[in-house]
Amino acid sequence: VTVAADLRALLKASRVLDAPAELRTYAYDASFLTQLASRSPDAVVIAASTEDVSAVLRYANRQGIPVTPRGAASGQAAGAVALSGGIVLALNAMNRVLEIDVPNMQVFCEPGVVHAQLNAALAPHGLLFPPDPGSSRMATVGGMASTNAHGMRAVKYGPTSAWVLGLEVVLADGGVIETGSVGSRAKQSSAGLELTKLIVGAEGTLGVVTRLRLKLMSIPPARAIVLGLFDALEQAGQAVQAVFGAGVSPSAIEILDERCIQAINLYRPAMDLPRVEALILFEVDGNLPGVRWDAERICAVIAPFAQRTEWSDEPGRINALWEARSLVGAAVGMLRPGSNRAYCGEDICVPVSKIPEALRAIQDVGARHRIPIATYGHIGGGGLHPGHLIDGRDPDEIQRVLRVADEIHLLALRMGGTTTGEHGVGAARAPYMAQEHGPALEVMRRVKRALDPNNIMNPGVIFDALPLPFEFPLAGPVGEPTGAAIDPG
Amino acid sequence: MLACIRCGLCLTSCPTYVLSLDESEGPRGRVGMARALAEGHLQVTPDLVEHELNCLVCDACTAVCPAGMHMDPLQVVLRAVLESEPPRRTRSVQMLRRLVFGWLFMDLARFRLLVRLLWLYQRLGVRWLARHLGILRLLKLESAELLLPELPGRFVEPHDEVYAPSPVAEDSPSAAFFAGCVMSTALADIDRATIRVLQRAGFELRNPAGQGCCGALHAHGGDLPRALELAKVNIAVFEHHEGPIVVNSAGCGAMLKDYAHHLRLDPEWSARAKAFSTRVRDLSEALADRPIPISHELREKVVLQDACHLLHAQRVRRQPRDLLRRIPGVVLAEIDEAGLCCGSAGVYNVTNPVQSRQLQQRKLDNALAPSPAVVVTTNPGCLLQLKSGLVERRSPVKVKHLAEVLDEATSP
Repeated sequence: VTVAADLRALLKASRVLDAPAELRTYAYDASFLTQLASRSPDAVVIAASTEDVSAVLRYANRQGIPVTPRGAASGQAAGAVALSGGIVLALNAMNRVLEIDVPNMQVFCEPGVVHAQLNAALAPHGLLFPPDPGSSRMATVGGMASTNAHGMRAVKYGPTSAWVLGLEVVLADGGVIETGSVGSRAKQSSAGLELTKLIVGAEGTLGVVTRLRLKLMSIPPARAIVLGLFDALEQAGQAVQAVFGAGVSPSAIEILDERCIQAINLYRPAMDLPRVEALILFEVDGNLPGVRWDAERICAVIAPFAQRTEWSDEPGRINALWEARSLVGAAVGMLRPGSNRAYCGEDICVPVSKIPEALRAIQDVGARHRIPIATYGHIGGGGLHPGHLIDGRDPDEIQRVLRVADEIHLLALRMGGTTTGEHGVGAARAPYMAQEHGPALEVMRRVKRALDPNNIMNPGVIFDALPLPFEFPLAGPVGEPTGAAIDPG
Repeated sequence: MLACIRCGLCLTSCPTYVLSLDESEGPRGRVGMARALAEGHLQVTPDLVEHELNCLVCDACTAVCPAGMHMDPLQVVLRAVLESEPPRRTRSVQMLRRLVFGWLFMDLARFRLLVRLLWLYQRLGVRWLARHLGILRLLKLESAELLLPELPGRFVEPHDEVYAPSPVAEDSPSAAFFAGCVMSTALADIDRATIRVLQRAGFELRNPAGQGCCGALHAHGGDLPRALELAKVNIAVFEHHEGPIVVNSAGCGAMLKDYAHHLRLDPEWSARAKAFSTRVRDLSEALADRPIPISHELREKVVLQDACHLLHAQRVRRQPRDLLRRIPGVVLAEIDEAGLCCGSAGVYNVTNPVQSRQLQQRKLDNALAPSPAVVVTTNPGCLLQLKSGLVERRSPVKVKHLAEVLDEATSP
């Protein structure tokens, strides 16, 4: 009798997969690590209800079978892959927005709701769930909560954890709890340990989130954007410091390095950005007179450091400038035709004051290992996303990019930063946790053991690193990339 | 396949993923399975074949992919490979495939003969008998039969005709017309409307003899060799005619534009295929910068049903909308989930009736939500798929090809 057969007998509404090709499609996420070390689970459950999730965990806990919760698997840290086999518990089909409580400004939803679809459902009510990952169109809110995702506007609105009021969680033994006070619709509480915050960011190692109560805000009526171009990275850093000291609270501050600018010019020649070391976009939101005042103030404050500045509150111009930022992920591939982004060492965060230094150091690491890197990031919070471009068919380049990722992680720690600013630890960064947390990691492990004594919940992420067998790609693609994509709109 | 960075952006654009919420029914999963197959981590198993063949090849994933992955060519090659594996089809299905791909679609004369027979079926009371005696139910052909339109008595047979611009204009560019197999027979009235509209837009249009089926059905059905054979026939025929190659079927247009890709490694044909493909224009593209003499206004609310092979595969979105807006009185409304396939997808409605029907109903719900009088489309498959659904719902809403709407608006 197989795990799948047991599960089929056990579950009411959920689907169970165990055919080989089907399992293979659950063997990876967006991380480079799982491109190299894909691992098919023994069974996949596409969950349909909290009851079924509870039944899966009761069964797995009794049998000692690992369970890995999964949203959209758009993560870049190998956090939603069954690296030691067992059951992948797919929650993406639990995707209902259950209730929008307009007067209390909160929403109840299932974990599989895609972020962009949640905000589309909220928009007619004038409401917004502000954390906004770049992966808005694929990431699920359950995944966002489990990784404590941040996004571009975290500099003003904070991470996902700031907007989660309560959770329904299925524990490793199948028990179901509600965090944030049972039946509560209060927007704040001081009642006891904040279990909500414990589960958020735990990457499914402590329990499975099956329902979320999220705090909302009104959609800001106006926004404006400021563009600053800087001849030297150091000036860009000084400009950001100056803005923070000037009584303005931007809703996003994004930096693109020279390579990113070059990539955008290759991808969209019409944008015709000048060749500078750094481009920064500041976004401010609020009411119209307020955003105008803010934008002018930012321009004035950064002018001494910038080669050029401009601002706009006109939607067309805002979109055109924002496009430069949103294109960059796709555009970096243009720097080296035939190459791919390798998502590893892609999410460090350093003190804001050390960003210019970090950007230069990242370029050095890339040059030393002969891997082109284009870096962009949320400079307001210190988050940096180095984009490494490699030929995925070349084993030597694969080895070199893994060394690059390692050095970037260590660089972040050396600078007083973290190996992951907003994507999560997963298996990709588990090897750095001892160095990052010191004795605190052992306390985390104690919490983990208390809630999951049989270690069935997503083993191999955060607390302990697993040895992963690589399956290096063989030569010879079947399909070929034939050029750049366009915006679907 | 290596281009796929597995970011998952494609998931919510994929019709079969949206229906199933199962990774193996989404583009990232399909690319992953194909890559694992190529790299030896997977064998050809029934589940792999099923999930790959459930792909509509609508290219919605291609259109949103930030890494430049192209699903259509991947599916074409993959299906050819799967076809060469030990037979997984019943003998009768194999025979039917040989008949359809190897005989019927290889020569337009044979196709015309079939449509003529179907025309007789509709005219001679056989249909009435078949419907009432339950024969269709017996043969499980009920829904397929519903897709069959009222067939015209006269086809558009390409015989090197020259259609002069009307009225005669000083600026009259040459163009060559790709008549299509379904379009020139079962939907010949639309081909005629297309020709009239192009004439009125000032084109001197030729209808080259010897042209055939575009080969899209073969390519997507796993018969790449015959698709390439048809491609070469068409390339050779149209080399003798100047100007853009205008096509009114989005599915054919996408295939014609892909000849360059499919023949890129053939030293004899690659340059010729490239020259051919760069000349191909959808009707809406050909008309985009031409003056069109509008003579009638159309006081109706219309919605445009984007054909996947126009919107995603050819990236043509604005032109058909602009053309509709040129007609005075037209109120053009947008529909929700405009990029989601209607389930027609070549012969998908015959090969995958369950998913096809779910997508058809979803598309109709979305298309009818703004209460239009007319649903406009640019592809024969979509047209028939939507029409059969509306007939079933007894809806008074009409489905028209863009060419028909423009023909009415420009008729003298």
